[in-house]
Amino acid sequence: MRRIAARPDNRAGLLTELAMIVVALLFLYPVFYLFAASFKKPEDFYNPLKLPDSFYWGHYAKAFDKVDVWAGFLNTAFISCGALALTIGLTSMAGYAIGRRPQKTFQFILYFLLSGMVIPIQTNMIPLFQLGVDVHLIDTRTFLVLLYTAGTIPFATFLYAGFTKTIPRELEEAADIDGCGRFRTFWSIIFPLLLPATGTVIIINILSYWNDLFTPLLYLKDPDKMTLMPQILQFKANNQSVDYGPIFALSAMATLPLIVLFVFTQKYMIKGMVVGSMKG
Amino acid sequence: MKSSAKNYGFGLLLVLPAMAVFTLFIYYPFIQSLYYSFTEWDSIRDPKFIGFDNYIYFFQDSKMMQGAKNTIWMTLFGLLIQNPLALLLAVLLNRSFRTKAFLRTAFYLPVIVSLVVASVVWNSILQFDGVLNYILTHIGQEQAARDWLGNIRTVFPVIVLLTQWQALGYCAVIYLAGLQSIPADLYEASTIDGAGPFMKFRYITFPLLMPAVTVVVFITIVGGLRLFDLPYVLTNGGPGTASYTLTLAIYNAAFKEFTYGYATAAGVVLMIIIMIVTFAQLRLTRSREVEL
Repeated sequence: MRRIAARPDNRAGLLTELAMIVVALLFLYPVFYLFAASFKKPEDFYNPLKLPDSFYWGHYAKAFDKVDVWAGFLNTAFISCGALALTIGLTSMAGYAIGRRPQKTFQFILYFLLSGMVIPIQTNMIPLFQLGVDVHLIDTRTFLVLLYTAGTIPFATFLYAGFTKTIPRELEEAADIDGCGRFRTFWSIIFPLLLPATGTVIIINILSYWNDLFTPLLYLKDPDKMTLMPQILQFKANNQSVDYGPIFALSAMATLPLIVLFVFTQKYMIKGMVVGSMKG
Repeated sequence: MKSSAKNYGFGLLLVLPAMAVFTLFIYYPFIQSLYYSFTEWDSIRDPKFIGFDNYIYFFQDSKMMQGAKNTIWMTLFGLLIQNPLALLLAVLLNRSFRTKAFLRTAFYLPVIVSLVVASVVWNSILQFDGVLNYILTHIGQEQAARDWLGNIRTVFPVIVLLTQWQALGYCAVIYLAGLQSIPADLYEASTIDGAGPFMKFRYITFPLLMPAVTVVVFITIVGGLRLFDLPYVLTNGGPGTASYTLTLAIYNAAFKEFTYGYATAAGVVLMIIIMIVTFAQLRLTRSREVEL
């Protein structure tokens, strides 16, 4: 397929490539700006085109001084990992059962779950608030873990159900004959085989958990439990003077883990984007 | 083999935890929302049934209508400009450029940046003494410099353009996957039959790319309907109501004006729109599958 595409050895191809590089640099500029501005000396900060000639760490020091950055990282990581672990645990079981059993009940259950995907959080946000109060989970990280998990269950179950069909049944039957219990069969034989689906579930959800603003904005008020995105926002709001440096430093720190992740898993992330696009 | 009844029961046991969490946190609040959407309810008084009043008021509320109007503009822009640009980008990224790896990374990297961080950066670039106006003044275009996010006329178009920073790369990824799934021998055969590049695009690439087109159209519309972070952080809907989106108007109705019943009704309207779009997409996808 690629062999058919025009070789870039003609002049038009070269010009196209140059134009693409220029546009690509424009697309990269805001990311560069984010990191460059976080290292700019205060006196240069409002000279928009001046590049930092050395690394100035003052904005970072100030960000750590004013905001509990470590707590932000730990909370975000805890909530993201907790939601992923719970989602994977629940939906690998459910998806496996749905993918394996021929009965109509299981198809019905899958459709029931998938129907929930059209409900945006804005529709449920107020009853959810009440529910959080009723079960004493409002303003807890656990509540966010549960909410994210609930929102991810439909699509993740769908993925696991589809993937289960590619695993040969003979394995389970053999384990059954060997007298292996059903739960053990699932966790020790089936679950490892579902690993590619698990990877997809992680890749397509980690970004949306890490970067989410809306849910913590609604349900987490305690500064000790706050995640990074509302922390940035709060910092920006408290900081009515125009000292943008520390906000850039905090934003850069909150973005860095995702960039590292992207660099190492680019291939999978791009595949994940394609699969994830279907959930809308 | 154990009895199928036992299998059935075990299957239910495996499905149960996911069903429980899903029902408790999605369907149970949803059913409550349906009821609350017919009530007048604020932070002081208890919910009182008022029939369809919330839904009627929805269509008279200037913020909601501005939000809806902006969403429609954004959708039109997405369909008519973003969509073809993303396809062009995908076609170009599919070529064997020497810098292909760099180009792909550059267009995908913005997708991972959170909208909050993107807002912080863009705000700094677009503010009155920011980079954009600085450059405009230095190339002799002072009259073009303005407060991009503080002007009723420019604010929403600017926000729509900002969404492109991430949307173009994201949609190009989907198109690229679609392009790469088209078997190469189709092109080879058409070359032998004497088809030119235009004919190839018209009769091979485009029809086989239709599934990707439906997906991109769908995420463009639903993404537009759900857009919240950018206007919330950058402008909070202002100046006036110029940069309101539906989700932002719903959020403010609930947490600024504390009209819970009304906000819930607006949330139900949002869901109905998303539902219609989803069903339309499913039908389109299904009818195409039959054709192929």
